[in-house]
Amino acid sequence: MKKKLLASLLTLSMVAAMLTGCGGAAKEEAPADTTEAATEEAAPAEETTEAAESTEAADPVANLIAATTDTVSLTVWASEEDHTLTTELLEKFKAQYPDVTFDIKLGSESESTAKDTVLTDVEAAADVYAFADDQINELVAAGALQAVSATYTYDVAAENVAGAVEAATVDGTLYAYPMTADNGYFMFYDSSVFTEDDVQSLEKMIEVADAAGKKIGMDISNGWYIYSFFQGAGYDLTLNDDGVTNSCTWNAEGAVDVAQAIMDLCATGVLVDMGDEEMATAIAEGTVVAAVNGTWRAETASDAWGENYAATKLPTFEVAGEAKQMSSYSGYKLIGVNPYSKNVGWSMLLAEFLTNAESQAARFEARGLGPANIEVASSQAVQENPAIAALAAQAAYATPQRVGGNFWTPAETLGQILASGNPDGTDLQTLLDTTVEGITAPVQ
Amino acid sequence: MKKQVRFVLRHVVLLLLAVIWLVPIVWLVVTSFSGYKGINTAHFFPQTWSLDNYITLFLKPDSVVQYQAWFTNTLVIAIFTCIISTVLVLMVAYTMSCLRFKGRKGLMSFSIILNMFPGVLSMIAVYFILKSLGLTNSHVGMIIVYSAGAGLGFLIAKGFMDTISVSLREAARLEGASEAQIFWKIVIPLSKPIIVYTVISSFLVPWGDFVFAKLILNSGISSDWTVAIGLYNMLNKSLINKYFSIFCAGGVVVSIPISILFVIMQKFYVEGITGGSVKG
Repeated sequence: MKKKLLASLLTLSMVAAMLTGCGGAAKEEAPADTTEAATEEAAPAEETTEAAESTEAADPVANLIAATTDTVSLTVWASEEDHTLTTELLEKFKAQYPDVTFDIKLGSESESTAKDTVLTDVEAAADVYAFADDQINELVAAGALQAVSATYTYDVAAENVAGAVEAATVDGTLYAYPMTADNGYFMFYDSSVFTEDDVQSLEKMIEVADAAGKKIGMDISNGWYIYSFFQGAGYDLTLNDDGVTNSCTWNAEGAVDVAQAIMDLCATGVLVDMGDEEMATAIAEGTVVAAVNGTWRAETASDAWGENYAATKLPTFEVAGEAKQMSSYSGYKLIGVNPYSKNVGWSMLLAEFLTNAESQAARFEARGLGPANIEVASSQAVQENPAIAALAAQAAYATPQRVGGNFWTPAETLGQILASGNPDGTDLQTLLDTTVEGITAPVQ
Repeated sequence: MKKQVRFVLRHVVLLLLAVIWLVPIVWLVVTSFSGYKGINTAHFFPQTWSLDNYITLFLKPDSVVQYQAWFTNTLVIAIFTCIISTVLVLMVAYTMSCLRFKGRKGLMSFSIILNMFPGVLSMIAVYFILKSLGLTNSHVGMIIVYSAGAGLGFLIAKGFMDTISVSLREAARLEGASEAQIFWKIVIPLSKPIIVYTVISSFLVPWGDFVFAKLILNSGISSDWTVAIGLYNMLNKSLINKYFSIFCAGGVVVSIPISILFVIMQKFYVEGITGGSVKG
């Protein structure tokens, strides 16, 4: 009897599994049908938008609403840290258009890895997603970004700082909506250890930190950060016109002095090569009293140092006896719209909403991220934020991050070798030649 | 004297191996009770102890930690996969072991070779097939993927069934039992150990899988994830400092159901593997 029960249970579960299988498939098919309908609807909606703009007769948003009959399903990808804020903003967005039924899903995808995930399958990616500006070339090349040819609520190009707009533009076409303008790095320090004069020069900082028995953290074995030394000393790294390969002069005459300088700085044992996570722990524990990092560590640093929390531009460092100002990368975070979206019009409107002045101000208040919007960036609260002010001071020496994928690994290796004091005793010129060869290697 | 030295040496080596093997696990467990949320590389044992991490896992879900949802998803997927795979494996094993038909040997060799190809090779193809059927981002799709090829793993179960005496089946047939009756009433009751083995091994596949789960559940909606993806997401560089100890706690919790399953079924498990290996 028991066996029979087991048998019937097994069969039943199998049948159930089969049924749910079919059920699932049928359910999935339904939206696929409406998808086509929605695309058809979206297309005329856009046309009417353009028509409206040319005649300036009607409000494009009103047209969009009028052309929408079904539920608008959208998926938004934002980084995990941005979730709380984005959820609030999405609620506000829904409230702003009460006549339309929305089904907006919020997924998590870090801005730094958005490109990899989106390019795995563009069709399956979110309708609206956030990404770091260095990924824009590849995203555009893969057709994963909808050109911002028309706007609904505000003029994206005019209201954001020029650098951010430039970062969101490829070949003269705007492809994304600037969200933040703080994706760069600068120097955090504990003002109970360093004075404002100390932080002008890295050598002086090392001296002071050494006297206090503390360390200075920097992720030297990371191409993003080691760039600051070479660029600061006047050796270039640029992206070629093909958009994927690099030009690099890090092995030019005199560049060995830069390599030697980095080695000397690390040899003091005070400037320590450490990754971001390790640095956070070290700052919290108090072993590190100054660190080269970005706004995302502002909270860690201000928690650890309290009133003594301070930030400024990067210091100078000595190359062959001459002080050179360290350079840096400036970066922006952008929001893009997937051209495969079923509701391109609504996606663009939502992207605009998430990046408008009000949202950028909210983002600054909630997370301390530097706004790209000119008006918000010039507000008093933003100006008074130490991290943002440091970033602004560093901006004069910063360059936008435009670099091909072959840069990272050779630069990381170079950083590791220099930070560990060149343990194999390789001739520095040879080392730099090898590095440059790797950086400028053609992309297969 | 010499004997004693050897004895000591042997045990020192064993002790060393045990320490090497246990250190990461101990670290994971103690870190899961840490009061500090990030990675603490300076100390092996946490400086402050707390149960917060486990409380967060189960009682205080936030946008990053939706452990309950992940656990439920994984459990549902694993249970269904387990049932379907077990049924498939037993049916195929019975067919191959007890029935005689044309092309049996050829079919068996073919399926064994087919089973040797690593499943990840077909990953992209599987993804696009699921996508065209609209089954990506669906747990049904995952259950199908995990259990679809299960029948190919019949070899051990078949080996076990080969050891069941033919005369039993012949006797049943003389009594007028049908093939189905022989399967349900004679072979299945005698195959308990191997059923247990099949249940455990087919439960483990979806329980610990990351690769397929990550590929199929690509919408980024965290409440749809399985435990493996959710935990991996906590190691994201911007999250690791706030969630590492919770990650460890999640790792500890996820191993509990498996451990229980093993402890209960251990006796059968050993019997199942060795029983099946007598005759293959």
